[in-house]
Amino acid sequence: MSWVTVLWSMTVAACLTLALVHLLVWFQEKKAWGYLLFALSAIGTSGIAACELWMMRSQTTAQFGAALRWVHVPILLVMLALVGFVRVYLRAGRLWLGWIVCMTRVLTLALNFYFTPNLNFREITALRPIRFLGEWVSTAQGVPNSWMLLAQASLALFIVFLLDSMNTLWRRGERRHSLILCGSMSLFVILGTVQGAMIMWGVAPMPLTVSIFYTGLVGAMGYELSRDVLHAAQLARDLGESEKRMKLAVQSADLGLWIWNIADGEVWATEKCRQLFGFAADESLNYETFNARLHPEDRASTGLAVQQALSDHGMYETQYRVALPGGTERWLSAMGQGEYDAKGNPTRMLGVCVDISARRRSELEAEELRQTLAHASRVTMLGQLASALAHELSQPLGAILRNAEAAELFLQSSSPDIEEVLAILADIRKDDQRAGGVIERMRALLKRGDLDAKPVDVAEMVEEVVRFVRADAVARRVIIETRVANALPPVRGDPVQIQQVLLNLILNGMDALNGKTDGERRVAVHAEASGAGVIEIAVSDSGHGIPLDKAGNLFDPFFTTKPHGLGIGLTISRTIIEAHGGKIAAENHPQGGAKFRVTLPVAANERKS
Amino acid sequence: MRISTAPAAVVHIVDDDVPFLTAAARLLKASGFDVRIFASAAEFLAQRDVNAPGCVVADLHMPGMDGLELQTTLARTREPLPILFLTGQGDIPATVRAMRGGAEDFLEKRAPKEKLIDAVKRALLRDERERSQRARRREVRALLDSLTQRQLEVLSHIVRGRLNKQIADDLGIHERTVKAHRGAITAKLGVPSVAELTRLTQEAGLFTESSSTFPKGQ
Repeated sequence: MSWVTVLWSMTVAACLTLALVHLLVWFQEKKAWGYLLFALSAIGTSGIAACELWMMRSQTTAQFGAALRWVHVPILLVMLALVGFVRVYLRAGRLWLGWIVCMTRVLTLALNFYFTPNLNFREITALRPIRFLGEWVSTAQGVPNSWMLLAQASLALFIVFLLDSMNTLWRRGERRHSLILCGSMSLFVILGTVQGAMIMWGVAPMPLTVSIFYTGLVGAMGYELSRDVLHAAQLARDLGESEKRMKLAVQSADLGLWIWNIADGEVWATEKCRQLFGFAADESLNYETFNARLHPEDRASTGLAVQQALSDHGMYETQYRVALPGGTERWLSAMGQGEYDAKGNPTRMLGVCVDISARRRSELEAEELRQTLAHASRVTMLGQLASALAHELSQPLGAILRNAEAAELFLQSSSPDIEEVLAILADIRKDDQRAGGVIERMRALLKRGDLDAKPVDVAEMVEEVVRFVRADAVARRVIIETRVANALPPVRGDPVQIQQVLLNLILNGMDALNGKTDGERRVAVHAEASGAGVIEIAVSDSGHGIPLDKAGNLFDPFFTTKPHGLGIGLTISRTIIEAHGGKIAAENHPQGGAKFRVTLPVAANERKS
Repeated sequence: MRISTAPAAVVHIVDDDVPFLTAAARLLKASGFDVRIFASAAEFLAQRDVNAPGCVVADLHMPGMDGLELQTTLARTREPLPILFLTGQGDIPATVRAMRGGAEDFLEKRAPKEKLIDAVKRALLRDERERSQRARRREVRALLDSLTQRQLEVLSHIVRGRLNKQIADDLGIHERTVKAHRGAITAKLGVPSVAELTRLTQEAGLFTESSSTFPKGQ
C-alpha cells in the first residue's frame, strides 16, 4: 500500500467533491459567483495534486518534464479563481494588482509552453529517487531556467495582493474573513511558493507537495462558505419568524395589505384585503379590478389622492366606499405610499385598508344631528335677535305713527292748533332718531369683540379649513382642490374669523353643486399674491353660478337663494373681511360656476421687509 | 263736548315709554276722548279717581308692575275698569293670560288707528254696562240686607219654587207664619211675584254657586 498514492488520490477526490457540491449550488443560484470561483480553485487544486503524483511516479525525465509543464495550467486556474474570489466574494483586493497578477501568470504559462521541457528547467539531466513517506519517489535534477523567476514574481505579487486584501478586510471589521480566508490563503500560498522555489532551484531535494498546502486553503474556504450558508439559513428563519409576527399583527388589527406593482399593474393583496374588496382568494388582481370595486362616485377622488401622493412622493390617506358584488356597500379607510427608483419614478405602491363602515355610520348620524342642532341654534339666535329688534323698534315707531295720526286729526279740525302740530313734528323727529339709535346699538353689539389680529399663515389656514370640511365633502361627493402659491407672506387678522368666512364660502360652493353629477362636483380654493401687499384667496365652484338678477344683492342681509337659507352668511363674511381691511367680491366663471374672491392685506411688518 | 252731571268717561293710558304715552294721548284726545296719562301702573293705581268711568290702555311690558299684574290688581278693586293692552311684539302666553283675565283687547303698538279707537270705544261701553250692573246690584243688596235672617231663609225656599206648605214642613213652622214672612218680604222688596223675586236675588248674586264679576265664557 502506497501512502503517497492514497494521500494524493484522496486530495484529488476531496477537492473534486467540494468543487462538485459548490458547482451544484452555483447552478441553483447563478448570481452567487463566489461558489463558482471556489469550485474552480478546488478543481485547480485537484489538478495540481494529480500532476504532483504524476511527477513522483515518473520513470523518465521526459515524463517528469511533461508533468511539471502541465502543473502550470491548474496553478493558473487556482490563481485566477482566487483573485476573482477575493474581488467578488470578499469585495477586497486592488483591481489593478489583481490584473497584474493574472497577466504575469498568463505570461508565465505561455513561456512555460514555449520552453522545453518547461519553465522551471532548461534541461532535466536525471531523475533522483528519494525516500518520502516510507517509499521511493522521483525528483528531478537539471539546469534551472532563470525565466522561472517570472513565475515566482507573479506568486510574490499574488501574496502582496492577498496581504493587502487581508488588511482591507481587517480594517473593514470583517476580521473573521480576513484571518481565516485571506490569512490562510496567504499562509498556504507562501508555503507553496517557498517550497516550490527551494526545490526548483535545487536547494532542497524533495518532491513537490504544493497541492497539500492548497488543499488546506480550499478546506478553509469551504469551511467559511458553509458558515455563510448556515448564517443565511438562520437569517431566512428569522425573516420567516418576523413575517409570522407581522401577519399576526395585521390580522389582529383587521388590516388588509396590498402592494401595487406599477410597471405591470399587478396587485398583490392579503386574504383580508381580498375579503374587504370581495375578491376570491385565487383571483388575479390589478389596479383596474380594484378601481372597478370602488363606488363610482368615489373613483375620481380616490384616483386623484393616489396620483397626488405619487407625484408629491407623499402618503395618501382617504376614505371611500366599496360596492360589493352582492350589492352591499362598505366604507374603507385607506393609506398608501409609493416606492421610487433612483430617478424618482414610482415603482410600487404599498398600502393598507381597514373597514370603517360601523364608525362611518355613527359619524354620519352624529354629523346629521350636529347640523340639525347648528341650524336650530342659528334660527333660535336669529329669532331672539329679531324679537329684540322688533321690541326695541316698536316703541319709537309706534309713537311716530300715533303722533302722525294725531297731527292729521288736528289739521283736519276747523281751527288747527299749529303749536301742537309743531310739537308733534318735533317728537316725530326725536322718535326717528331714537329708532336709528336702536339700530346703531344693535350693530355695535354684533361687532362686539375687538379683532384678535396677528400674522396668519395662509397655506396653514387654508389647509385647516379644507381638512375641516373633508368629511363633509366626501359624504357629499365633492372634490376639493387646493392650490396655494409657494412662500406666501402671512396676512394680518383673526385666523378663526377668516376661517369662518372661508368655511362659509366652501359650504356655499358645495350647496351650489346640487343637481350636478359626479366629476362635475368640484370646489377649488386658490391662494396667491395679488398685487403689492395683497393676498387673494378665491373659492370657486362648478355649480350653476350666480343668477344675473341676483348678483347685486348677494351680500344683503336676509337675502338667500337657498330653500332653507337664512341669508346672513355672506353679510357676516363681508363684515368680517372689511373689518380686516380686505374686500370680498363675487363673480361668475366664464366656464360656469361662481367665484368668490377674498383679498386681505399682508401683515404690516412683512410688507416692510 | 259731553254735557252730563255724571263724571265723564276717561281713557287712562299707562306706559313707561313717555314719547309713546304722549303720542297715544294726543291721538285719543284728538279723536274726542278724555285722556289721563300715567308713566307707571303704581302711579295710575294711586292717582285714579275710583268713581270716574272709563277704561285703561296699558303697555304689557313695563318695569315694576307690568300690565298683567295691573290687570289682576285692578280686578280686585271696588270699581274695576276694562283694560286694553298694547305691546311691542306678539307674545302668545301673555296674550292668553290677558284674555283669560278678561282683557278687552290685545293690540300691537303700531296697530291701525281705527282698531285702537274701536277697541277703546268698546271698552268704554263695557264699562258703562258693568258699572250700571254693579250699581243695580249694590241697590238690591241694600234691600236684601233689610230682611231678617228668618225672612232670608224663607226667601231662599221661595226662589226655589217651594209652596208655603212645603216651606212650613221644611222649617218646622206653621204655614201661617210662612205666609206672614212672605208678606213682609214682598213689602220690603216691593216685588209681588215669585218670578220678580228670583230675578232680584240673581242680580244680587244671592243663593248662586258662582259670584264672578265678569260674564262667563271669557
